[in-house]
Amino acid sequence: MNDSELRQAFEQHKNAVYRFAWRMTGSSEAAEDIAQEVFLSLVRRPDSYDPSRGSLRAFLLGAARNQARKRFREEQRWDVLEDDDIAFVPSAYVDVAAAVGAAVQALPPLQREALILAEYEDLSLEEIAGAVEAEIGTVKARLHRARENLRRALEPFYRPNPRTVVHGN
Amino acid sequence: METNDQKLKELLQKWEAPSAPSSLAQRVFPRQRWWQWLWTGSIRVPVPVGLAVLVAAGGLWLLNRPVVSAPQKPVSLADFRPVEQLEPRIIRSTNYEH
Repeated sequence: MNDSELRQAFEQHKNAVYRFAWRMTGSSEAAEDIAQEVFLSLVRRPDSYDPSRGSLRAFLLGAARNQARKRFREEQRWDVLEDDDIAFVPSAYVDVAAAVGAAVQALPPLQREALILAEYEDLSLEEIAGAVEAEIGTVKARLHRARENLRRALEPFYRPNPRTVVHGN
Repeated sequence: METNDQKLKELLQKWEAPSAPSSLAQRVFPRQRWWQWLWTGSIRVPVPVGLAVLVAAGGLWLLNRPVVSAPQKPVSLADFRPVEQLEPRIIRSTNYEH
């Protein structure tokens, strides 16, 4: 990969990598740091990407996932438990988008990354499995649990007028 | 369940993420002025080329190095004098006094 191809890859995938990191961390600064690390590693070692092993987009998102994971571990926010239910109070949010964001970020990291890659970045199950270094069956299970958690958390927003939802004490 | 899945997808799409900031490009591909490059730039040289350059430079240095030799004086025997009186001294053992 020469310099012009690297710049082209950056232009093509910078938003996907940044968006993923932003959704994973919930922080613009962290997302920019992660995206920078991902592309700098590609610039330093362009041969680390092997086209025979999948798309560049999936490779970069996998690298972003590893960076996010490294960050979470440093901050001791990486919970390896996959079966956790999320503690989320939807009635605290009037804005649906904010509620969805908070609910996704309340998911355990392994469920969160699988859900973001599937729902927001449109990666296939195979690509997600490659990116998160897990079996396809494991990814399916994580996605299932993530969706269950979100359905439960966002249940009030399934109603016609979520503004009428009042959190009972 | 399918309706629920569709509804969940719709809800999820309401949460939009921002695009990458323009500062990201600057962080990944920093613009450098030529004089900054003189301090921080690097050149990648293949090992065979680097070795060939080193060998050639060494050879050139060997060929062109200045030959240092002692300054030559004309040899003259003008100051030589024959020994006028020989005083031979016989040393019988190594234990002798000066």
